[in-house]
Amino acid sequence: MLRKESSNVATLDEHGQPVALSFADRLGGQQWFFAFKLLREWIDNILDIYKPELRRLLWPLFVYCYLQCAADAYSRDARDFFSTYSKFFEEEHSDDLRALSGIDLPEHVQENEVATIYRENRYRLTLSKMAFATLIEFLETKESEGGKQITFLITNHLLLRTVDRAALGGARSLQRLMEEKQGEEQAPAEDEGIPGHHPGSANLDPNATSALNRLALGPLPMEPDLMEDVKAELTTEDLLHPPPPGRSSLSEQFEQRIKTEPLDDTAPPRDAIPFPASTARDVAMEVQKVRENRDRFRIEGKTGGVGPGVSVTMFTFHNTFDSVNCIEFSGDNTLVAVGTAESYIRVWSLEDRALTSPQDPPGFQPSASRRLIGHSGPVYALSFSPSAALPEPRTNGHIHTTTSPDSQPRYMLSSSADTTIRLWSLDTWSNIVVYRSHNAPVWDVRFCPHGHYFVSASADRTARLWSTPQIAPLRLFVGHDSDVETVAWHPNGAYVFTGAGVGDRTVRMWDLVKGTQVRIFTGHAGNVTAIACAPNGHIVASADDKGTIILWHLRSGRLIKRMRGHGAGGIWSLDWSVESTVLVSGGADQSVRIWDVQPQKETYAKTNGDVTKIDGATVGGGNTSVSKPSGGGGGKLKGREQATPDMISDFKTKKSPVYKVKFTQMNLVMASGAYLP
Amino acid sequence: MSVWNPENVIDVAESVGIASLNKDVVEHLARDVEYRMSQVLNEALKFMRHAKRTTLTTQDVSQALRLLDVEPLYGYESTRPLRFGEASIGPGQPLFYVEDEEVDFEKLINAPLPRVPREMSFTAHWLAVEGVQPSIPQNPLTDPRSAELAAKGSGANSTLAAISGNDNVSVKPLVKHVLSKELQLYFERICSAVLDEGNDEYRSAAFVSLRTDTGLHQLVPYFVQFAADKVTHNLKSIFVLSQTMQLLDALLDNKSLYLAPYVPGIIPSVLTCLIGKHLGSPAQDGATTHFALRDYAASLLSKIARQYASSSSTLKPRIARSCLKSFLDSHKPYGTHYGAILGLTMIAGAEGVRALILPNLKAYDMHLLEGMNDDSKKEQAEYVVQALMRALEMLEEDVVAMEGLTQTNGHPEGEALSERLVDAVGGVLAPRILASGRQSFISAALEKDLDV
Repeated sequence: MLRKESSNVATLDEHGQPVALSFADRLGGQQWFFAFKLLREWIDNILDIYKPELRRLLWPLFVYCYLQCAADAYSRDARDFFSTYSKFFEEEHSDDLRALSGIDLPEHVQENEVATIYRENRYRLTLSKMAFATLIEFLETKESEGGKQITFLITNHLLLRTVDRAALGGARSLQRLMEEKQGEEQAPAEDEGIPGHHPGSANLDPNATSALNRLALGPLPMEPDLMEDVKAELTTEDLLHPPPPGRSSLSEQFEQRIKTEPLDDTAPPRDAIPFPASTARDVAMEVQKVRENRDRFRIEGKTGGVGPGVSVTMFTFHNTFDSVNCIEFSGDNTLVAVGTAESYIRVWSLEDRALTSPQDPPGFQPSASRRLIGHSGPVYALSFSPSAALPEPRTNGHIHTTTSPDSQPRYMLSSSADTTIRLWSLDTWSNIVVYRSHNAPVWDVRFCPHGHYFVSASADRTARLWSTPQIAPLRLFVGHDSDVETVAWHPNGAYVFTGAGVGDRTVRMWDLVKGTQVRIFTGHAGNVTAIACAPNGHIVASADDKGTIILWHLRSGRLIKRMRGHGAGGIWSLDWSVESTVLVSGGADQSVRIWDVQPQKETYAKTNGDVTKIDGATVGGGNTSVSKPSGGGGGKLKGREQATPDMISDFKTKKSPVYKVKFTQMNLVMASGAYLP
Repeated sequence: MSVWNPENVIDVAESVGIASLNKDVVEHLARDVEYRMSQVLNEALKFMRHAKRTTLTTQDVSQALRLLDVEPLYGYESTRPLRFGEASIGPGQPLFYVEDEEVDFEKLINAPLPRVPREMSFTAHWLAVEGVQPSIPQNPLTDPRSAELAAKGSGANSTLAAISGNDNVSVKPLVKHVLSKELQLYFERICSAVLDEGNDEYRSAAFVSLRTDTGLHQLVPYFVQFAADKVTHNLKSIFVLSQTMQLLDALLDNKSLYLAPYVPGIIPSVLTCLIGKHLGSPAQDGATTHFALRDYAASLLSKIARQYASSSSTLKPRIARSCLKSFLDSHKPYGTHYGAILGLTMIAGAEGVRALILPNLKAYDMHLLEGMNDDSKKEQAEYVVQALMRALEMLEEDVVAMEGLTQTNGHPEGEALSERLVDAVGGVLAPRILASGRQSFISAALEKDLDV
């Protein structure tokens, strides 16, 4: 009450006598309100060339004003401030707003997760020199009307970096600005935000050069013994079944695959990641992979505006009562597994074959489905151990009978809200190992593409690397500021990717051997819900629950493009075609969409330029260009629902959110979801 | 000023034995409670998201509480949304509680076990084949609006729309199709003209228009609907019924209309006029006027059958079946039988008479005799007899046409013949057939015997 009165008195004073009290004393908690209002109005009226970059200032300042206000125990003013200005950030920052919304006591500021992330880190933002100078000038002239407050926040909580407008190049050109103005595109730049890193780089030291760690993105070399065995096997296979005319023989195919390693790809050393010695099963799987690779349906990228015709089989689950949390197909496409909210896992044979076990009591009639019971909380992720598809009957009259049970997956992993990960044997349909180490629900688990290792992601903000024979994790990947929501492997097994939720929203790439971060990708506006790395090892795709898919170039650590079209609600799954030219996504908006990966021409050229620079590995501070998102290349984006032009197809399902999409080795898409009438 | 009511804090404090709380403390605590609740909800949303659901369940909340190291609330686990009841414990003090259904223990024990929920299962189908979404029941209908959107999204690239399958899928409009004002006006005028009892010219002008005008195709479903409506609601008025029949006749005559898809909609109205139990009101129109209507309906039916039998192979059998059913039902009035016989004759021809009517004549004779002896029904029965005679005559023509001059000299004469005839067609028809004196007619009626 007193405060209110005093503020009334103060405003009266403004009309008549000179103001005796300072701005801060006069207004108390409202000083932040007026300071922010001042800045906002100024930015709204500023020249168009500065507007987009200065507008990015508003969100961090909004958060810091609000938190400062609440921390100073002006809870009513904090609430007023929040309710007045939060609506302007609703679209881009809805999750953060929700997390911050309850705060109005100093204790809450101390305790709230998102608030601590903001208070303990500096929000990094890049401005051009001119914009920065104008801002400072303005704040100085208005020092007594709130400029001081803003300057205080900027010096204490923000990390403003200035760069020459010229250095920004095309990204800040007038034309680009005009395009953006039309599209009203609001997306964080690549180096904006909490982690405070150079684009792509994982080096968090603000003074670090933007040189990036070198990556070994080549495929993992084969064990020499295994390679010999596979070669011998392929030669006999060629003799038995000579290739149909027009097709190369299997051994030729294999040789070609080994030799066509691009020169700039260093392969990770074989001995850095130990694997158990290969077995006959590995040989059979390699042979099968080569065969499938030759016989696959080839998908070329979009050429001349015509995209590839992709076929999609949809597996719809009925009578689920919304209890299905995740769906997973096995690598050989014979099994499908479902993790449920009722803590059990159910496995079906896709071929309607009875799932037998040596432990079945005599007289037991095995059916085509099995229940795996063991978890004590909802099951959130499943992962089959690697396996290759069974040979399919050929068209030339042969009927293959080499359906060796060998190629079927032997193990499955599951992760659950009960903080455990369990390993199940698919021979006996029983639980073999329980991995305990996480102390919060485990959101995701994924087998290494070569088996043996797996990585898990948890709500305790860590991702952990395990090997199947050991019950303690081998590596802890620590660095995310919020829940690690999803994980993915690099195809060579030397790196893993993790994506985080509210407050952090970064995608990070970790070196498996060293356990360190090698890349950080920022740019998502929502929780990261799915990640998939291209089979060629150079591009990673990540999706968020705002309906955006972003492609990242690994070597340069830069954003390639944003792809929009999915509705809000989460893109649950992503996968790449064998050629790495086409991406498929499926999500809560009940659709399966096919995307063209080829970047637009100009962006592609630029990325290439970056590649050569990084390879020099001696790039100085010059490489600081902020590439603005180029996905909206058409520049005609009006709403989120509008798809970017690189969407090739959009297949709607009938009231079935899509939980899983997968490209088989033969380039057929398998999709799955639950029918929810 | 928290959303959470500070009174609640006082209530809880009192329940743990703290009698008086400072007002500031209460405010502070209320705010804190509110913050904690939003914290719990934020965590619960995480669980909801990972379960890929769009509804928050009580399970999510208890998981969130567990994650925040708080003892979860027990007893609220439910797979369906909870219902909250409201009770007032004082002015402006509503108390909310979970509504528990009261269950009679006895009843619960004796009740049959609830049905086991259906097992989870999966089905597979093609969502897309080579980039095109097949239009099968498992796939949703393409919404024209989304197609529009996709086309815009792909910008100038029209091929994109083509390969995404938007062009191949037949689009069913979800909205009712819009009639132009002129057509609506025309429809109204025609409808009122057709039912205008006073103005003959007006009426015939309407029919002529219907018979000849082109461009009425959009109105056909409306006319069919109109006819069905009028027939259902005006069974008492011979005038309306016959006008409706004429309207349908006019439509059928119009060369520019393609009516095949509407035939299933027209047939019921016509059949009603043919074999309806009570058509018109005897007091107003006289007891026998409805026979004229039935005649008209029968001819209309035969016309439809002729024109559209080729487009629907089951059309004739279906009509014949319904006619036969009414014919064999002796509880139906003579009017219905009359219509049924007419219908059968028209639809199925001589072949039908031979196969469907002739074998049943003997049985029908009893019913007919009953009618002939009853004065009130005699007139009606007479109509039926005539219809039957006509049917038999048709048979005669058929036999003559088919077999030429079959020698029938094997037939016995006189008494024996009449006995046999009575045996074949019944006591009412036999004398009449004999009276006609035509040898071929008699033998046609006796054909059954010949075949044996």
